[in-house]
Amino acid sequence: MTMATGLADAPLEVKARRFGFLRQAWTHRSDYLYVLPAIVVMLIVIAYPIYYTVELSFFNTPPSLQLRDKEFVGIDNYALILRSDVFWRVTANTFIWTLFSTVFAFILGLGSALALNHEFFGRGILRAILIIPWVISAVAASYIWKWIYHSDFGLVGAVLVGLGLAERPPNLIDSVGTVLPSLIVVNVWREFPFAMIMLTAGLQTVPDQLLRAAKVDGANAWQRFWHVTFPHLQGVSTVTILLLAVSNFNSFIIPWIMTGGGPSNASHIWITHIYELAFGRQRWGIASAYSVLLFLILMTLGYFYVRALSGGEKKERVA
Amino acid sequence: MSTASIVKTRAGKRIDAWRWGGRIFLVMMLLYTAVPMAWMLLTSIKSGFAAMQLPPQWFPNEPTLASYEKLLDPTNSVGQDFLRFFWNSLFVSTTTTMLAVAVAVPAAYAFSRFDFPGRKFLFFAVLLRNMFPAVIFLVPLFILMRLLGLVNTHGSLILTYLTFGLPLAIWLLKGFYDNIPYQLEQAARIDGATRFQAFFLIVMPLSAPGIIATAIYSFIGAWNEYIFAYTFLNKNEQLTLPVGIQRFFSENTTDFPGLMAASFIMSLPVVVLFLLLQRYFVRALTEGAVKH
Repeated sequence: MTMATGLADAPLEVKARRFGFLRQAWTHRSDYLYVLPAIVVMLIVIAYPIYYTVELSFFNTPPSLQLRDKEFVGIDNYALILRSDVFWRVTANTFIWTLFSTVFAFILGLGSALALNHEFFGRGILRAILIIPWVISAVAASYIWKWIYHSDFGLVGAVLVGLGLAERPPNLIDSVGTVLPSLIVVNVWREFPFAMIMLTAGLQTVPDQLLRAAKVDGANAWQRFWHVTFPHLQGVSTVTILLLAVSNFNSFIIPWIMTGGGPSNASHIWITHIYELAFGRQRWGIASAYSVLLFLILMTLGYFYVRALSGGEKKERVA
Repeated sequence: MSTASIVKTRAGKRIDAWRWGGRIFLVMMLLYTAVPMAWMLLTSIKSGFAAMQLPPQWFPNEPTLASYEKLLDPTNSVGQDFLRFFWNSLFVSTTTTMLAVAVAVPAAYAFSRFDFPGRKFLFFAVLLRNMFPAVIFLVPLFILMRLLGLVNTHGSLILTYLTFGLPLAIWLLKGFYDNIPYQLEQAARIDGATRFQAFFLIVMPLSAPGIIATAIYSFIGAWNEYIFAYTFLNKNEQLTLPVGIQRFFSENTTDFPGLMAASFIMSLPVVVLFLLLQRYFVRALTEGAVKH
């Protein structure tokens, strides 16, 4: 560091900085010991599989997964995917699933966080009850809702018949038209508490004085929300929406357990489809190619995710 | 706080459409959340016959705990399996949790305190891991586990859960370490403690809430995990609860009271754990996201 101080010359300074990086890394060498265990574990279980998936996607691997017998097919797997009808069907499903799950989970979470933001009797209990769906296992949730949607003895059917809205219980998750919305309801049920927790914490950062000042100035509830509360929630909202979008894009359990992707692919989303291709039909090459495509999409999303987070970190530094 | 509540009571005198909208909204959310859970409980105390009726028995005419007795009785085969799944889940989740804390604590501390080169890159690598679904890793991981001879062992699950739980665990813990003043450590160092002593004796005890939160998070994650367990295990005696329940259901497709009772027992430990330690859990989760 002392070396660089006297030199006004720009290229020299760059050189010094580059040298400084190594030296810094060396002086901080013991710091790496703290992160070493984490890195080793992640290299084995994450980096290696990513490499492997890319490799498999260019090969035809026999169902037995005997890697000796794999044969190179170039980009055939990718071409096959992009030409198939199922691919576009599944992509559309994934899009609908991710969009609606994210939007509804966020809106319901925001609504609950706002409605629970002022003190009243039983607020803590109410909040705890609203969070429970997020804690219980998705497998249990899937079975609970499968039973609620049951085409003969389900709760939804019974209520609809009881109210005279339907003559006989509807076939919610066995018909092409209703299956995806029905599953989204389950997914939102499990996910809105997450948005609620995040936004509740976000609401605590809204300064009370500002809200009171706005009130004195004659702002109504909506104006106070829109002009004071909402701008303060933007950081948390971005992170929450991104996290929700990613986890919805990656969901597997609910569609897999409740319908297995049926009827006739109406509830297959990318992940369930990839799983079925790989472990159901042993089409390892195609499944890997699918994974690589998915990976690319997620990298794009990841770019925004990191940007949102690092934007936050910069502000944090200033504060 | 006191001024805020004065404002609130004054506002309460006016008929506030928004306030009423909020209440109605909350009631609807409560119904949306609680009715499915209530229906699970009510079904679980019905007999198989009582569950399959239209119109349904809203409250069972003859409540019975038969389903629970069957699941928890080690002398019949159903109960034997179920209890074994339960212990498997408990073993895998507990081991994962202990290892996750042991690995995440030093890593999070380093990310929070040291300014080593590459720290930022590493941290984003950690966060990015969160983006990728298990399925992308399944095929190669399956090959890897076969290579390591871990297929059909709990080791395969513990290793994967540990890795996939780490990024979040580190993130959660880092939030806590960021809030512990560095001066405390400096004071200890001046008094002659080594860096490690300062970390172990000063910072660790102060970050206990964070460690508790991370532990609950790892535990709940491991307890509820399904995809890896479904792929790596196929021997009956090795299964964890989520997969075990699925197998149970595929063999008894009409035993809904049994299935609901099983779902309830599976949910019970994590819900209780969560309710007891809610405070830490919620705080940890939001610590990183809200600060900015």
